[in-house]
Amino acid sequence: MDVIEQILPEVQRPARYAGGEWNSVRKDWDGVDIKVAFAFPDAYEVGMSHLGLQILYWIVNGRPDALMERVFAPWPDMEEEMRSRGLPLFSLESRRPVRDFDILAFTLQYEMSFSNILNMLDLAGIPLMAEQRDEKFPLVIAGGPCAFNPEPLAGFIDLFVIGEGEEVINEFLDAFLEAKRRGLSRQGLLFEALKVPGVYVPSLYRVHYGEDGSVLKVAPAVEGVPERVTKRVVRDLNGAPFPLRPVVPFTEIVHDRAMVEVMRGCTRGCRFCQAGVLYRPVREKKCETVLEQAAGLVRNTGYGEISLTSLSTSDYTPVRRAVKALVDEYARQGVNVSLPSLRADNFSVELAKEVQRVRRSSLTFAPEAGTQRLRNVINKGVTGEDLLKTVSAAFREGWQAVKLYFMIGLPTETDEDLDGIAGLAGEVLALGRQAGVPAGRLRVTVSVSSFVPKAHTPFQWEPQAPLPALKQKQAYLSGKLKGRGLAFNYHDAGLSFIEAAFARGDRRLGAVLVNAFKLGCKFDGWSEHFSLSRWLEAFRRAGLNPEQYANRRYGYAEPLPWDHIDSGVSKEYLILEHRRAMAGLTTLDCRAGSCTGCGLCPALAAEPVYAEA
Amino acid sequence: MPRYRMMYAKEGPARYISHLDLLRAFERAVRRAGLPLAFTLGFNPHPKIAFAAPLGVGTAGEREFADLELTANMPPEEVAGALGRALPEGLRLIELRAVADQAGALMAAVDRATYRAEAILSRPVSAGEAERAVAAFLSMPQILVEKKGRRGEKKVRDIKPGILAMSARVNDDIIVVEAELKTGSSGNVRFEEVLDAFREKSRLPVEGRFSLYRTGVYAARGKEKKSLWHV
Ligand code: SF4
Repeated sequence: MDVIEQILPEVQRPARYAGGEWNSVRKDWDGVDIKVAFAFPDAYEVGMSHLGLQILYWIVNGRPDALMERVFAPWPDMEEEMRSRGLPLFSLESRRPVRDFDILAFTLQYEMSFSNILNMLDLAGIPLMAEQRDEKFPLVIAGGPCAFNPEPLAGFIDLFVIGEGEEVINEFLDAFLEAKRRGLSRQGLLFEALKVPGVYVPSLYRVHYGEDGSVLKVAPAVEGVPERVTKRVVRDLNGAPFPLRPVVPFTEIVHDRAMVEVMRGCTRGCRFCQAGVLYRPVREKKCETVLEQAAGLVRNTGYGEISLTSLSTSDYTPVRRAVKALVDEYARQGVNVSLPSLRADNFSVELAKEVQRVRRSSLTFAPEAGTQRLRNVINKGVTGEDLLKTVSAAFREGWQAVKLYFMIGLPTETDEDLDGIAGLAGEVLALGRQAGVPAGRLRVTVSVSSFVPKAHTPFQWEPQAPLPALKQKQAYLSGKLKGRGLAFNYHDAGLSFIEAAFARGDRRLGAVLVNAFKLGCKFDGWSEHFSLSRWLEAFRRAGLNPEQYANRRYGYAEPLPWDHIDSGVSKEYLILEHRRAMAGLTTLDCRAGSCTGCGLCPALAAEPVYAEA
Repeated sequence: MPRYRMMYAKEGPARYISHLDLLRAFERAVRRAGLPLAFTLGFNPHPKIAFAAPLGVGTAGEREFADLELTANMPPEEVAGALGRALPEGLRLIELRAVADQAGALMAAVDRATYRAEAILSRPVSAGEAERAVAAFLSMPQILVEKKGRRGEKKVRDIKPGILAMSARVNDDIIVVEAELKTGSSGNVRFEEVLDAFREKSRLPVEGRFSLYRTGVYAARGKEKKSLWHV
């Protein structure tokens, strides 16, 4: 009866820590040269819903010379048990201490998971700061969207991977093996890793500050280190490794279904959207590839639902053919097909109708802003008219619940735009009544989040609205969004405020993170765990002001802390887009055939890939 | 539609999955096995898998029962072979038989279950001491346990009538407690509450937690237990 077995019955949802899931891989520890622990700095249910984890797990465990095991942030009840019994952070597969691995790889999906990274390092018994770690400890690496502004984490991470992991991982592991074979020191290993494009080693760069404390530049501190690190992209998704035997959890997770990624990237160019830039250029899989992969997934997982995932699945050129083929094939077997994000147009309702032959839940749309003027500013290519037409069609088709997503605090927003949100919601409700949806069942849910300026977007220079203003906007809306059939919910504005500070943060925020960790911050993406006062205290103790990062307008000419990280999209283009936004001019998406000149394709020698309809 | 009854074990990592997750795990395994699972009709179709009695999270089940309906007739050996290969770690098919259409529902038939618990002792205990502790425990006129009601109010209940048999033995530094308890709609006693009460009353030097095993689930035939194969 080991310690883990004694603890598990005491904690909530012990299946999170038990391992043994279908398709999980347990390799002979001594039979491989490299052991990688993949760490997701959030709860099991969130981490296991992430396709990137499954892809890397598939690739690394496919190598005879390596193994990858998983570890997630233990929920606070589990953490307490572990700490009180001196049980270090362990992997699910072999239940070994994370410290025993060669590499500890974090994925950075959202800024508010950073506190969990520090907490996990500490629980693992690994020194927080990279400079305090020697050869005894695993190499701590990180990748994912937040690696595009890695500076707040620069002190804790030995090495970042910029761009798509599946493109880099094998080269990186080979470099690591080579360094190990040659018996290189940690420093030597980092230099060896630098040979792999897309690798950023923060300790080899120095930050130059101006007299006023602003960042002047982040520049190589040693010779032979690239000035800028350019992201890596997979050229052809059809040939890219795709996990046909993903791990199937025992316990219910956030996205509990078979996920087939149909394309990567999005061409629409919403100006607040970071993923849209980071995952450029758009690359579609062939319909045949999608169908083959779906068949493999159903066979190997037994899931009752297939989800066609991407940033905007209704844009996927052969979406109709793919959906029809999947529904025809699997409906009989009790397997549903689902599309996660839908655009507010008629095409989307037709698609939804097709996929919801079996079960009819609510339809979700994201108009993002309440007026056409503001939708033009953010380049959300959807009109209010489109939305209303679509929703009314949906009600007539039998849907009774509609969810609408909006953002508040967008650049140039006025009260009129907020009124527009309430107005739109009211109109949608009225359409539902007109279509004869019974009053007891009719439900319009308005979900509101706060605008967060993100690095590498046209809005990266824009201030976030000050916290009191955001709260006021929420209160204003909640006064207007009352009544039968209406539901209003909003994200914690304080959380968005701290998120904004980190999204545009520089290396000095490392001190804030250490303070926050010491003050007990963890699971900050969960509003029940987030504490604004603790974060403000963490900033105060570091002598920094979150408003300086979140609520300031940055100048075009001002060096940005992430300028040395190259997303492929040129700064000139982002400036142009920002200017067009302020002028209320929209930009077409490059799917329409004419390149809008974002600069990525020439810079990365890549190009958009479209499938045949 | 053809119905199959299976006896299976839920052990290892699988013992930490909840009842709802267990249903999902079987549903997925049946699909992986390529078996034509039957679903309920209606708005939200459910797979036709029915369990004899829910098992607490963390308790291992050594001989659990569940029924499964398919849309096509298949030889039981074939169903067993395919399903056995598709079950995740810790779920193990022991036996599978076809049951007649008019066979009773498992859930309704369940009347009692047998259990075993094991824990480490912090000082040696003699066999006699353990036996006497059980005898003293069972000779109490009532065994009262407190339970929180739905609204948080405290309810006191006598579980003694639900304890059909109980014994304890000692193996080196491990104490093994076995019991047969009322289970199902005709009365239900949880093994944990029995053990908690026993631990408190007996003051045996049990260290840490008991590991729990349900060793069987049964119907009743008078005072005897009856196998669920025959209901
Ligand atoms: S360079 Fe042109 S074609 Fe390529 S992603 Fe940018 S806008 Fe699209």
